[in-house]
Amino acid sequence: MNKYEAVIILNPNLSTKVDDFLKDFEKLLKDNSFSIVKTEDIGRRQLAYSINNHNKGHYIIFNLEGDPSKLLEIETKIKYNESIIRHLFLVVKKHSDEDSSLFIESKNKKSEPANDDVKVEKVETKEIKADDSANKKGEV
Amino acid sequence: MSKYDLPKNFDYKNTDALRPFITETGKIIPARVTGVSAANQRKVTKSIKIARFLALLPYTDMHQ
Repeated sequence: MNKYEAVIILNPNLSTKVDDFLKDFEKLLKDNSFSIVKTEDIGRRQLAYSINNHNKGHYIIFNLEGDPSKLLEIETKIKYNESIIRHLFLVVKKHSDEDSSLFIESKNKKSEPANDDVKVEKVETKEIKADDSANKKGEV
Repeated sequence: MSKYDLPKNFDYKNTDALRPFITETGKIIPARVTGVSAANQRKVTKSIKIARFLALLPYTDMHQ
């Protein structure tokens, strides 16, 4: 048993069908006695250079555990899957418990407008408090 | 604070941390310039090469 980290870049045109892909991929992994520890759906991201004339890609990161001999079979299946534009399996000593920085980045991008609202509110409450303390000082 | 400061645990996914280690044209900056430890420079180099393969960082500025 080895621990793996897999990065898969999907065709951005199939972004809406990610759930179907995930189901198929999980089935493929289970058929080859791989277990999924964690899945991070990072979403569409700008590629640093175009791959097969795609400028964007849908990134998904998996933390896996499985048998090295079975990995070859999975890779041959992936090779002939046209919705995957690039993939990489890395052997790791330890799976990290924390979310990857890419995942956090994508989360922040999605929730940016909501965050802004919260920030504005916080600033306002702080100002009021500051005013209060100033008033108290004046009273003293 | 140097711009070559690294987080404790970094890998190919920390593209923001790795970006100072490549030039505008995408080349990896040598250790004699970055001044990080040899072990960390090896790790940086490897991470950049993985990030390039995954199109998280560019190989060059001449990509079409």
